[in-house]
Amino acid sequence: MKVTRRDLLGWSAGAAAGLLFTPVPWKLLDDTSIWTQNWRWIPQPTRGPVEVKQSFCTLCPNGCGVRVRMAAGWPVGVAGVASDPISRGALCPLGFAAQQLNWHPQRVHTVRHRGNSTSWEEARVAFAKACGEGKIAIVDGQPGRAASVAMKTFVEKRDGSYRVALAPEAQALAPYGAWSGLGAIGLGYDLENAQTVVSFGAPLLDGWGAPGRFTRLWAERAAGMADPQLRLIQVEAPLSGTAVSRTAARAWQWVPIRAGSEGALAAGLARVLLDEHLVRARGPMPTMTAGEAADQTGLSGGAILDLARTMVARPPVVAIANDGNPAIAALNVVLGAVGTRGGIVRRSKLAESYASADAVIGASYGTARAVLIDSTVPWDFVPQTDAEVFRFAAWDGGAGQADWLLPAPGFLEELTDVPTAPASAIETYAVAPSLVNAPAEVQSAAQFLGSIDPAAIAVEKIIHQRCDDLFRGRAGTVYGKEATAVAKIASAKEFEEQLWKGAVWVGVPPRSGDLRCELKEWPASGSSGRSGNASNANWSSAWLAPVLPPLASKLCQESNLREAPVGRKA
Amino acid sequence: MSRNALAAGLGFAVALLCGWVAFPRALYVQRQQPLEFRHKTHAEKSGITQCNDCHALRDDGVFAGLPAAATCAACHAERMGTSKDEAILVDKYIKPGQETPWLVYSRQPANAWFSHAIHVRRAALACAECHAAYGESDTARIYELNRISGYSRDIWGHSMSRLGRAPGDGMKMGDCEDCHRRHKVEVGCLGCHE
Amino acid sequence: MNARYGMVIDLDRCTGCGACMMACAAENNVPPIPQASTRTGVTPMLVRQVSNGMEGGARREVFIPILCMHCEHETPCVHVCPQQAVEVDQATGIVMQMPQRCLGCRYCMTACPYHARYFNWWDPAWPAGMEKSLNPGVAVRMRGVVEKCNMCHGRLHSAKEKAAAAGKREIDFADYVPACVEACPTAAIRFGNLADENDPAARETHSPDAFRLLARIGTEPKVYYKSKEAWVKELAESKSGRGPEVKHG
Repeated sequence: MKVTRRDLLGWSAGAAAGLLFTPVPWKLLDDTSIWTQNWRWIPQPTRGPVEVKQSFCTLCPNGCGVRVRMAAGWPVGVAGVASDPISRGALCPLGFAAQQLNWHPQRVHTVRHRGNSTSWEEARVAFAKACGEGKIAIVDGQPGRAASVAMKTFVEKRDGSYRVALAPEAQALAPYGAWSGLGAIGLGYDLENAQTVVSFGAPLLDGWGAPGRFTRLWAERAAGMADPQLRLIQVEAPLSGTAVSRTAARAWQWVPIRAGSEGALAAGLARVLLDEHLVRARGPMPTMTAGEAADQTGLSGGAILDLARTMVARPPVVAIANDGNPAIAALNVVLGAVGTRGGIVRRSKLAESYASADAVIGASYGTARAVLIDSTVPWDFVPQTDAEVFRFAAWDGGAGQADWLLPAPGFLEELTDVPTAPASAIETYAVAPSLVNAPAEVQSAAQFLGSIDPAAIAVEKIIHQRCDDLFRGRAGTVYGKEATAVAKIASAKEFEEQLWKGAVWVGVPPRSGDLRCELKEWPASGSSGRSGNASNANWSSAWLAPVLPPLASKLCQESNLREAPVGRKA
Repeated sequence: MSRNALAAGLGFAVALLCGWVAFPRALYVQRQQPLEFRHKTHAEKSGITQCNDCHALRDDGVFAGLPAAATCAACHAERMGTSKDEAILVDKYIKPGQETPWLVYSRQPANAWFSHAIHVRRAALACAECHAAYGESDTARIYELNRISGYSRDIWGHSMSRLGRAPGDGMKMGDCEDCHRRHKVEVGCLGCHE
Repeated sequence: MNARYGMVIDLDRCTGCGACMMACAAENNVPPIPQASTRTGVTPMLVRQVSNGMEGGARREVFIPILCMHCEHETPCVHVCPQQAVEVDQATGIVMQMPQRCLGCRYCMTACPYHARYFNWWDPAWPAGMEKSLNPGVAVRMRGVVEKCNMCHGRLHSAKEKAAAAGKREIDFADYVPACVEACPTAAIRFGNLADENDPAARETHSPDAFRLLARIGTEPKVYYKSKEAWVKELAESKSGRGPEVKHG
């Protein structure tokens, strides 16, 4: 029997009709639609139990408490800790996507020597050799940690120097440190008790200090109020065109001055305050007249007089510079804001003892044979030296600066501690346990030094000792879920356990009169003339990493809120 | 019968055969569980009689699903018996600290949220209502993987026509909706979608 | 009692830091692929910077967080969706978008008066390994679907589950805090049940300083804003679209 086309057609028609009575079309439709919703290449979150753990963010010296949700040992969500006295539950915007950082494409995975991959062993040999041949300089970006002790001790045993990078907030305190002989590290701003704050370009509402500190004070005492309890006066040049910085946009009063004239204005204000007897102080008298200050700043003489009167109308008043400009520091001396309530205060001997240093970075390296730079030093710091540079970094900021690039632990990958935040008025201490297993190839500077010097004390031991010492001091309060006086805690073990779980130790408040600055003459202008927060690019002025979490870069480009940061790879 | 009708009839029959017999065979591929697990043996021999002795709610209310290796290790840290399957469990998974890669019959896509806490604690549904009498089974069923969707055959149900399904056979959205309608519990889309 | 979850955003407190944007993007597994402009990226929470157009000491600027307003009356996106991929949830008032059901016609994006909806032009991708940091509480979307703020419904689910496990019928409100609310350092975003008269957020909606964007079109948004500055309130009804937006050069 021959099969004809008609047969085929008939057969097909029957089959088509038959198919409709089978599950094939309906099932295929259903399955295909499920398939289209579940492409294999779409990444999926981890399934499984989610735990919540606490630690502290170490991406800037402020050390805000973080509550991290973890799935399968990986961080899947970061939030603040409401009971944390440092951060008061807030984080900077970057903190909320910090969990992405450990997988940033610019993460350093291998030891590199002048661009070539090599091993830790090679680096160790080279560094040990350098130690034997000459002086070593170590640069630390977050002084005061237990790891800092390890670095300092290493250098003290050998002929070398230990230097620190000061956070921007602390740089502004350098003049008082010099004039009082105490150094900048033990000083802070008592903003909690100030009623008038005059910021000379410091981005107080946008990445200055722990974000939860001043922004909360301002939100509770000033935001939206016609007559606020906290008067924020922002002295700052406009940004390009007519735009203003975020802090100037939200301040109680914005004083637009010419870029770089902060020192002149400070001198002019001091002149007026002294001439008009608006303050109790009798000096130091600036050489500049109010008229000269008016010329340089672009303000009228009357405006300067008004500003001076406004500044002292509601004391306590304090002026905050955005860099180490001594003129603004001298203005604080004239205002009587040094060593008094609401002004510059001396926090404690603890903060000083933890963080003393030979020098601040920028000092010459002289005849150093090798320079070791800790991963906490900002990437844009490039030592001017011929020495062999060993740079620890978790992320590569590009522009191949160091002889050796050494992979350091990233976000929450190493145990560390949190000494008092720069600019804080009270001394604090916290322990930041590591929450994430560090990749096998990373090592911190402290660990590296420990592998060369067998007598080095481990970071964990130093932390344990510090907890012990704090407990024995019987002073201060521990802020965990509740606040408990140290005197009421039963044992050192219990004290330390609380800190390991995320509690913060807060010391006694500073006393007036602990800080005295003798200033006979108005200082010569010493600042770089940088005009405050020259752009809104800074998410956080003390952010250490040379990269941003990828979500931050994306949001820079998709909103008009921030420009992509200059000089920082996305 | 005319030749055309015969051809059509033949086509019809072949289509039916393909659709009901060949198609399911082609669509599903069988997978074995990593080892044979016997609920019945555990109930009889170790006094684990309640489902939530091993399949419990965690502290945050999330259902733990299949027990983690740590739960099995409570008894099976070392081999307790002589079975080949237990050997696999202890040597391949518990000792090296690995989770057993069970194939989950009732796995749903990520955008479907189902809360055991709400259904078991609040609505007091018995486990068997959705999972049949699986707790009394003597073997781990063969896992049939749908090649196209990537999910288990249990989601559509074993019956291709979806008629005459046993309770617990079939976990499509429509099945959830049917039960909700029967019990008159309105949830809206937000109730179940992530 | 059915809830009506809403917000009151205090614009006097917003410093434009962007923490809410970051927390929202992280919570919702938004892929970090930068798109070219504000109109093609996925930003369920987007903060806009607007000025009063003046210069010098008289210049004022404000930051306005824009998210889905969860409109209650003739919700435009619900009306136009051919797929019923979005609905107003009865129990919570949340306008729930189901991206998996969406077919990508983007009619809802046209209909939304607040431009609060975003389209996934591309499949999501993360740098190698970064998927381990994805939030398990929210499903990842693929290309071709629209998404928007869902008031962190994943957190609502967790709160419900926790309550059920403890044998309670109602959630503990402290357990349900959307990511943006939790992130804001100045507590500018207040979240609450607007149907509950005792809720602090609900009470704030009655303040004379409270207003809604484009109130005249009658969509009854559940996101309110608050400011003591008159020029900011006037922006809300701006007939030209929006105030002079600050651009970065």
